[in-house]
Amino acid sequence: MTLPVIGFAGMSHLGLISAVAAAEKGFDTICYDPDSQQIAKLARNELTIVEPDLCELLEKNQSRIKFSADLQELTSCELVYIAVDVPTDDQAQSNLEPINSLVSQVDSNLGSDAVMVILSQVPPGFTREHVRNARQIYCQVETLIFGQAIARALNPERTIVGCAEPNKPLPQAFAQFLDSFGCQILPMRYESAELAKISINMCLVASVSVANTLAELCENIGADWSEIVPALKLDRRIGQYAYLAPGLGISGGNLERDLATVCNLADQNGTDAGVVRAWVANSHHRRDWVLRTLHRETLSKVDDPVITVLGLAYKQDTNSTKNSPSIALLENLTPFQVRVFDPVVPASAAPNPRCHAAESEYEACDGADVLVVMTPWTQFKHLDLQEVAKRMRDRVILDPYGVFQAKDCRDAGLSYHTLGVPAE
Amino acid sequence: MIIHTNQEPTKPSRVLLLGATGFIGAVIQQQLESAAIPTVALGSADINLLEPSASDRLGELLSPDDSVVMLAALTPDKGRNIATLMKNLVMMQTVCEALEKSGCGHLVYFSSDAVYGTGVSQVTEDTPVAPEDLYGAMHYTREIMIRSLAAVPVIVFRPTGVYGRDDTHNSYGPNRFRKAAQADGKITLFGGGEETRDHIYVDDVAALTIRCLLQKSTGTLNVATGISTSFHEVAETISKQFGGGIEIIITPRANPITHRHYDPTNLIKAFPDFSFMPLVDGIALVHKESSMTA
Repeated sequence: MTLPVIGFAGMSHLGLISAVAAAEKGFDTICYDPDSQQIAKLARNELTIVEPDLCELLEKNQSRIKFSADLQELTSCELVYIAVDVPTDDQAQSNLEPINSLVSQVDSNLGSDAVMVILSQVPPGFTREHVRNARQIYCQVETLIFGQAIARALNPERTIVGCAEPNKPLPQAFAQFLDSFGCQILPMRYESAELAKISINMCLVASVSVANTLAELCENIGADWSEIVPALKLDRRIGQYAYLAPGLGISGGNLERDLATVCNLADQNGTDAGVVRAWVANSHHRRDWVLRTLHRETLSKVDDPVITVLGLAYKQDTNSTKNSPSIALLENLTPFQVRVFDPVVPASAAPNPRCHAAESEYEACDGADVLVVMTPWTQFKHLDLQEVAKRMRDRVILDPYGVFQAKDCRDAGLSYHTLGVPAE
Repeated sequence: MIIHTNQEPTKPSRVLLLGATGFIGAVIQQQLESAAIPTVALGSADINLLEPSASDRLGELLSPDDSVVMLAALTPDKGRNIATLMKNLVMMQTVCEALEKSGCGHLVYFSSDAVYGTGVSQVTEDTPVAPEDLYGAMHYTREIMIRSLAAVPVIVFRPTGVYGRDDTHNSYGPNRFRKAAQADGKITLFGGGEETRDHIYVDDVAALTIRCLLQKSTGTLNVATGISTSFHEVAETISKQFGGGIEIIITPRANPITHRHYDPTNLIKAFPDFSFMPLVDGIALVHKESSMTA
């Protein structure tokens, strides 16, 4: 049986990852984006995003991937995913103009039997609003995680498909493509699929909010959240994969968007969304843990302190700084000397007029009063803390993600502060 | 969120200080003088804001470039009734009328944390306002009144309990405890003094006022340290200043225990290098200053 050609419209993080995964599954893939410069870069294998294995898979599947800024290239596709980014404003409200426009453009360039699938993150009701003429249109839920995007795209836990008629079989090309991923397919009505994505994120936010609240209590009452987590994970009602790692609130943009969408829908329908708003407030509170701790330990005590910040990226294994806690912290440290190092993101991303771009983690620590680890890159775990301590002027470490071991810091004479544990 | 109109601190051409003779106003006046900022310090003896002619007189004093610090208010020790509420609103009406006539470059309004409900244990500037008494309602009404003057850039201060040497109020906390220890050799607590509150040293309040004047800051700021301490701990700290011989009396509890903590994040973001006087040090300093003047 001939494999269908799969199109991807919108070379966003999601679009590129999904296209590479399709090619890896053996499908010829056409990647369209109106930005011809971006297309040219991708064609040269020049990536603007960082994901483990992405570069290698792109190179390996080059013969199956065609990048194009010409919309008409999609006419040969039997299945086209709409994968453009849906931007949000500072209130986490989606701007649907770009995706509306792209859907219309793609629709008018597809063959009559071609299937269109909305992969972008859209609010409930979006897909049904775009049902028109005879076009077969579906939506599919993506659960991309920065830093694990390729692994999850190749091995999804399940595929959630929003359909006009969930009881009808999927079109052959679509079914053939989804079957190649070897996971359960869950067809449901459009609105259910769109809300399923949001529901998944709400469950994750609930878990993280529990972890953040109780971790903060631990810091104040002498308990250690890391000792409690294994007990929770052995409870079947909670589960071993539960999101229980405390963090610096919700970031990245997508979860915030979903929280805003739920609040909007609840307001429109008279549903109590108080708990969702409480998650948002909790997230805002925890986001500034580093700033409050830094102020308490260093800024309020040391004249013109020198601050080392390790990590600028939103999370490890990505170069994205969108909604990065590190960048948000640095915006509040403009009066101070800051020494910055990130393995991928250039120091120029740091919004600080007194920023020194360090060549290495160790050089970043030279003369510092405090070391703050803002992105948990794996390579930071292997730092020689004795060497770090030797290079620092004062001996304070703020490590919200627990990259270092408390005992190792203590042995090196460092005052260690992390989430969920009372300060040493 | 606090927005600094002046990115670089810039001295205001002149500051009009209304309520200059009060506990906080006097310290602000001292710090304005130390910073060599021209100041017109006014108390009720200079302009009685309750008099009908006061808005004209104040308007004549004001020039459009002035910064104004509005502290003048009848505090709860002067009365908690409706008459006091109405007087306080008339005072604010006077100020608003004068500002409408003459304009001003910037205004710092001293409100109170009484605008928040007593049952809220964790307070940020985003905590919904829910005053439970006339005093809290008065301050919130005054906030709305001053903010209704669209042309005036305003910052509203909502201070927690302020302590310092010359406090004339006798509210439950460090000042009353010290005076009671001094006079009677004992401190009487409500229940066991379990409630936690945030106490800020008056010089820190004044220093924040100056900073906001220099940067022409706007918004709402909870003026609090972010560290809450139980009244029992406060009593013990004061007792130590007297050599530990002060009797701390626990009484039967009449009301449920409530706590109040402030999230100081917005203050830190606005003034990241600002440091507060630790409560223990502040109490010691007040004790030392009081002993010297006694």
